[in-house]
Amino acid sequence: MSNVPTHWYNIAVDLPKPLPPPMDPYDGESRIGLLNRIMPSELLHQEFTSLMYVPIPDEVREIYVRLGRPTPLRRARGLERLIGNGVKVYYKFEGALPGGSHKLNTAVPQVYYAFKDGAKEVATETGAGQWGLAVSIAAALIGIRAVVFMTKSSYLSKRQRVMFMRTYGATVYPSPSEVTKYGVEAIKANPNHPGSLGLAISEAIDYVLQGEGRKYIPGSVLEFVLMHQTVIGQEAISQIPEEPDLVVGCVGGGSNFAGLTYPFIGAKLRGEGFEGTRFLAVESKAAPKLTQGRYEYDFPDSGGLLPMIRMLTLGHDYVPPPSHAAGLRYHGAAPSLSLLVKEGIVETRAYTQEEALEAGVLFARSEGIIPAPESSHAIRAVIDEAKKMPKGSVILFNLSGHGLLDPDAYERVNAP
Amino acid sequence: MGISRPALGLYLTATYPSTRRFLEVLDKVRDAEVDFLEVGIPTRNPKYDGPVIRMAHRGAELMGLDAVKAVDDYSKYSRVPVLMGYVSDYLNSLNDVAKVAKDVGAATVLFPDLIFDYPELIGKYVEVMRSNGLALSFFISSKTPYRLIRSLSELKPLFIYLGLYAATGIKLPIYIEQNVATIRGIVGDSFLVVGFAINSPDMVRSLIKAGADGVVVGSAFIQRISDLNDALSFLKWLRGGLHE
Repeated sequence: MSNVPTHWYNIAVDLPKPLPPPMDPYDGESRIGLLNRIMPSELLHQEFTSLMYVPIPDEVREIYVRLGRPTPLRRARGLERLIGNGVKVYYKFEGALPGGSHKLNTAVPQVYYAFKDGAKEVATETGAGQWGLAVSIAAALIGIRAVVFMTKSSYLSKRQRVMFMRTYGATVYPSPSEVTKYGVEAIKANPNHPGSLGLAISEAIDYVLQGEGRKYIPGSVLEFVLMHQTVIGQEAISQIPEEPDLVVGCVGGGSNFAGLTYPFIGAKLRGEGFEGTRFLAVESKAAPKLTQGRYEYDFPDSGGLLPMIRMLTLGHDYVPPPSHAAGLRYHGAAPSLSLLVKEGIVETRAYTQEEALEAGVLFARSEGIIPAPESSHAIRAVIDEAKKMPKGSVILFNLSGHGLLDPDAYERVNAP
Repeated sequence: MGISRPALGLYLTATYPSTRRFLEVLDKVRDAEVDFLEVGIPTRNPKYDGPVIRMAHRGAELMGLDAVKAVDDYSKYSRVPVLMGYVSDYLNSLNDVAKVAKDVGAATVLFPDLIFDYPELIGKYVEVMRSNGLALSFFISSKTPYRLIRSLSELKPLFIYLGLYAATGIKLPIYIEQNVATIRGIVGDSFLVVGFAINSPDMVRSLIKAGADGVVVGSAFIQRISDLNDALSFLKWLRGGLHE
């Protein structure tokens, strides 16, 4: 277990400006009060902790090890040759985990804390299904039931993930579903509603409120989720043999990006290294909150059940066009990431699905790994940036997942 | 002017539920000897407050500084009176707030939204408070960056107020003692006030033990305000937690 971090890193206490607190809207019940009823208690503590380093429970670390942490950090020599200008590229391969993505890093502790609270089941939302799959695995290992609301466009196009979630014992509903009032309302308004992460969150919370022994666990955006992911960056710092000039990750809500970059950014903010390192967050043009969003208080879910948080947002009722990179189809970015973007510490870029998948194909052919469509956005940015950088420059990016469960995306690319 | 350690403070929204009742409460509070008194400037947008204090803002008879001016001199009622308002209401009139604070005998004006929503105004706030002969005070959350807390402490404020929860009056399962102990280690000698959802002497005791210098009660007192005797015995009961 010695190579797996012992703590998660909380960037809030190192930020150049304070994170604005969550806020209740002026109508209806207190959403902040509602958190008590829906979320595992330890997660709420972590959301408001003043500690810079939060200890990882031994039970969670043990599962991290069983599942394959630390994940490999590899040099992308094939991609480097393809770029051909002497820029070095490293990637952290989170796709090596059983779920095929970084999501297990937070699914394990969240399910563990729900179990410690006596929950019999956890409910959550999922876009592409990477989060839902991770929760299904964590729930199976820890011994409680998982209920997953999956955005309908993905539910229909990513049948394998649905099947594997069920293989692990999870119950999976397409969202909008007929199980909750938010789903029913959405179907009534638009029978062909493709679903959105925001809506799926509202459904999962509503489901939790309908029964006993249920807890809601979120896949991104909230600060404790980002904190759990910092095992990625802490490992990367100890694995990478040279200081990166650029660190890149894709952004849905911000958790894989934060997981890789925050330990680097924190050190930079504290003046403890990485002074010259740049950080680039890459999003989908289907949900361009980082490049086009407003920095304001908004709900993280479309139903407005959670407290408002200040973030870069396209509006909680934004329904992104269906996209293969379903994990990036989210209207907002985590508050800490939004603040870092506002402060100019993190740069941003948006790509279309086609631009990203083109890079995904290049990566597959040069490195032998089919990247997740989400991660392909980061790869596209790596290629574009590398071309502008001098020989010997070093880039690190997060290969947040593999794409072996995303055949629908690659079918389109390879269509004659 | 300093606040005695350990201290119990009371928060009231000016002119809630009516000017007459507010004055009656203040009269009684004088005898209850709270160590400091926070007087909320009623606003239509109390964004970081919970349901009870939001209700008190909406239910105040007067709004804004007019409500505060219902009393000539708050130092008659408490050793250390403090005004508390949202800086978003006074972006272009900070000096007016400071003048009123000075006129009514307040020691400082605390703006809970200053460092979160208007960090660029911190310098101006310091200048305006000082030029009016007022002390400084700052509101922070458990997640406020350490460096900012240190720099606020270096300004020698009358106190730094740590909000224990996400909003006033709403308890969450947060290790508040751990947060207080961490922040205590960062604020150095600054007077550390903690508040939000304070409702028992045990809670007061454990927060003081964790490193707080003062504890403020607001929502739980305001909820009892219709029965003043009940409210005052509650305050006395809480005070029991200040000492071992």
